Amino acid sequence: MINLVQNEMMKLIGKRRFLIISVIIIVLLSMFTYAQARHAETTRERLGSVDWRTELQQQIVDWQNRLSSAGQWREHLQIQIQQSQYYLDHGVNPSEPGAPTFIRGFVENSAELFLPLLVMIIAVDLVSSERSMGTIKLLLTRPVSRFCILLSKYIALVLSVSLVLFIFGLLSYVISAMMFGSQGWSAPVLTGFSVQGGELDISGVRLVSQWQYILQQFGLAWFISMVVGTLSFMLSILMRSSAAGMGTMLACLIAGAILSSMVSSWDSAKYLFMVNLGLMDYVSGTAPPIEGMTLGFSLAVLAAWMIGALAVSFAVFMRKDIY
Amino acid sequence: MSDITLSVKGLRKVIGKRVIIKDLSFELKRGEVFGFLGPNGAGKTTTIRMLVGLIKPTAGSIHICGLDISKQFTRAMRHLGCIVENPELYPFLSGMDNLRHFAVMLSGTGQERIDEVVRLVGMQERVNDKVSTYSLGMRQRLGIAQAMLGRPDVLILDEPTNGLDPSGIREMRAFIRFLAEEEGLTVLVSSHLLHEIQLMCDRVAIISKGEIVRVDSVQALLSREERLVWRLMPYESGKSILSNRTPILNEEEETVTTVYSEREAGEWNRELVEAGVRVLEMNRKLPALEDLFLELTGGESID
Amino acid sequence: MQSKKVRFITAFAAVACLLWLFGLGWTVNDYLFGTNGASAFPVSDEEPAPASDEFKIIALGDSLTRGIGDLEGKGYAGYVSDRLKQAGWNISFVNLGIKGLTSVQLAEQMKEMEIGRQIGQADAVLMTIGGNDLFLGGQTLSNLTDEGIAKLEDEYLNHLEVILGAIQASNPDAAVYVLGLYDPFGELEEGAVTSRVVRAWNYKTMETIAEYANAVFVPTYDLFQQNVSEYLFTDQFHPNEKGYQRMAERVAALIIGTGGQS
Repeated sequence: MINLVQNEMMKLIGKRRFLIISVIIIVLLSMFTYAQARHAETTRERLGSVDWRTELQQQIVDWQNRLSSAGQWREHLQIQIQQSQYYLDHGVNPSEPGAPTFIRGFVENSAELFLPLLVMIIAVDLVSSERSMGTIKLLLTRPVSRFCILLSKYIALVLSVSLVLFIFGLLSYVISAMMFGSQGWSAPVLTGFSVQGGELDISGVRLVSQWQYILQQFGLAWFISMVVGTLSFMLSILMRSSAAGMGTMLACLIAGAILSSMVSSWDSAKYLFMVNLGLMDYVSGTAPPIEGMTLGFSLAVLAAWMIGALAVSFAVFMRKDIY
Repeated sequence: MSDITLSVKGLRKVIGKRVIIKDLSFELKRGEVFGFLGPNGAGKTTTIRMLVGLIKPTAGSIHICGLDISKQFTRAMRHLGCIVENPELYPFLSGMDNLRHFAVMLSGTGQERIDEVVRLVGMQERVNDKVSTYSLGMRQRLGIAQAMLGRPDVLILDEPTNGLDPSGIREMRAFIRFLAEEEGLTVLVSSHLLHEIQLMCDRVAIISKGEIVRVDSVQALLSREERLVWRLMPYESGKSILSNRTPILNEEEETVTTVYSEREAGEWNRELVEAGVRVLEMNRKLPALEDLFLELTGGESID
Repeated sequence: MQSKKVRFITAFAAVACLLWLFGLGWTVNDYLFGTNGASAFPVSDEEPAPASDEFKIIALGDSLTRGIGDLEGKGYAGYVSDRLKQAGWNISFVNLGIKGLTSVQLAEQMKEMEIGRQIGQADAVLMTIGGNDLFLGGQTLSNLTDEGIAKLEDEYLNHLEVILGAIQASNPDAAVYVLGLYDPFGELEEGAVTSRVVRAWNYKTMETIAEYANAVFVPTYDLFQQNVSEYLFTDQFHPNEKGYQRMAERVAALIIGTGGQS
């Protein structure tokens, strides 16, 4: 089995998948770090000071000014204001300058769309490319059961997702450290905010080190990526062309992003996988898209989708006639 | 182990309501090259895919070296090597990596065996280049190497000469004969070219619309259908002499076609000459597949 | 391709996989079954930012401070800062204005630790407040009873005292510039009435401010008395760039007059 997994890894490496992904990450990262650096610069210019308290206070005031015209985002904004105020009152800098803080923000923002997209690049043609190349005929006429072949592909997917996430973390650290310096791993981060009925609940708030927070974030990002990867994997089996699989998955992700902002009154939408991808929000204490969703609930829903997709994948693959 | 290496009984495939393959049965022996002949769409490819486990039969059984592929798939496949349609390999890997990739899936196949098959197909020089740089002939050879990796008892080749140039075709034919005669393999070859089959195979099965119309040795099959084309001068009298001896099958542009008979052809010729008819041309002609088909299937045309 | 390389990458990916699994496990454990009680917060014992040579300005108050109506979004406070910079001052400027803020809300805001800390570092505090108390939603205008206005005034003045008291407590040295109200409705039908109300309001404000040594009342009523539409934004309520510029001119002149000594 290990050999089969290595075969799959060899093909992925041969297709230069990891290289392509690394290049995409590098290009985007450079843009983001530059934007971030510029943002910091303009703030400094505007405020004439670099004290984070001043900056955060200004941010809070800016949000407060947007409150009256925020419409449906009002609640969201209020929670953000309360949270920032909490940071301010406890003298904890929510954005200690440095690479770790950048990574924290970057992971938080990319976990729902960017990382899954990268994972899709790998997952979506794991099976369908074998079919379009015709190599599946060679693969399936070996003295190895179809179950083993698909399992080796799935394990290769799990490993690839892990690797992509690692490359992502490493590159964002290296690039942002060049820009902002590498300090701040042990900076304090407040976590455990929860939102109950549009109100910020601070009873569970505690202080963790930034490295711990980042590791937890990556754990969640990994899980999200795995869910998206598994679903893409299933589409890769069900659909003949990688492009169709990619399109379908992309549509789901984007629909999820749109739905998350408007499903608050459609209660049963909380069982859709794409609405549950915002795992990070629970940890950072942002209001969930639908009242009553919790981290445990979302994890369970996503796990159910993942298991379902795997079951469908294996059932279809093991029975399918290859023409 | 018995001499029968591949045995197919009552093989049937139904997709929806259409019966694609109707109760195929045949047996292959060690050391023979078996041809699978039929026009495109006759069910050759579907049958071959069922033999190699890519398609599950609706009914019937397939045994490779006595092992049922639906029950003991992995053990049965250990004895089989195949190329289904084109030898599709991973273009982004080198020939060597492709072979390693497949060797991993065959227990007990190491680097020595890989080197051995590379030598067998004469690919030593290019084996470390990427497959995407290979010509079709080289890919075909690499495909054979891949199929030979596990020292199979049965080799199944779907249209092995497709897309090859004339010298490549000759090489391939010689190679296939070599495998059967020297290595004792059973080789199943499919083709839609009668000529191909005639030169390579010992026995042939003719398949049409999902049914085997006939299984016979190549010699028996072809001799029966061979024709003799005459060009005579003067035409009319020559024709009447011939028609007294044997039925005229066809007549066009100053030529007359009769059946070919080794025993009688000389006799017919002598009679014509004695009657003062000059035989300008006397041509033994292999039947076209189309003719054979019309003959065997009773007027059913090739799709 | 060397199979060594593949083997290395595969092994590496496996290690990464374990790492992320650990992270996920930790998260689940922390957030779902987390029993680790709120850990103590480190007391923030950071030294206040060392006194720099910057002249620090804090702007507090309502939409005028925020700069509503100014297409450049600076408001009078922004222009004050600009003017001082032009005069060669090293300025640090923080605008904490929130549109729609009433005196009671500002008094509430003053309780925030961070606001107090910032005022503590300030050299000058600019403030506009009360406009929303008086004109809120235009309701007051339609039922201008003297008792109603008197009640609003009383509440407003109480809050103003609270605010000024808080500023003084945080920073006894900072100069506080409180800008008075102008009458945006001066040219309307009821202009005469509203003008009287605004004048009285400003007078009482001035009287209250007089009790605080560092506080300065900056009148704006006269700036918008004539040709008011020239200086108002299209909403006929907030000043436009010109209006803000005129207000800023006055405040900047006062600050420059102190020579940076508060």
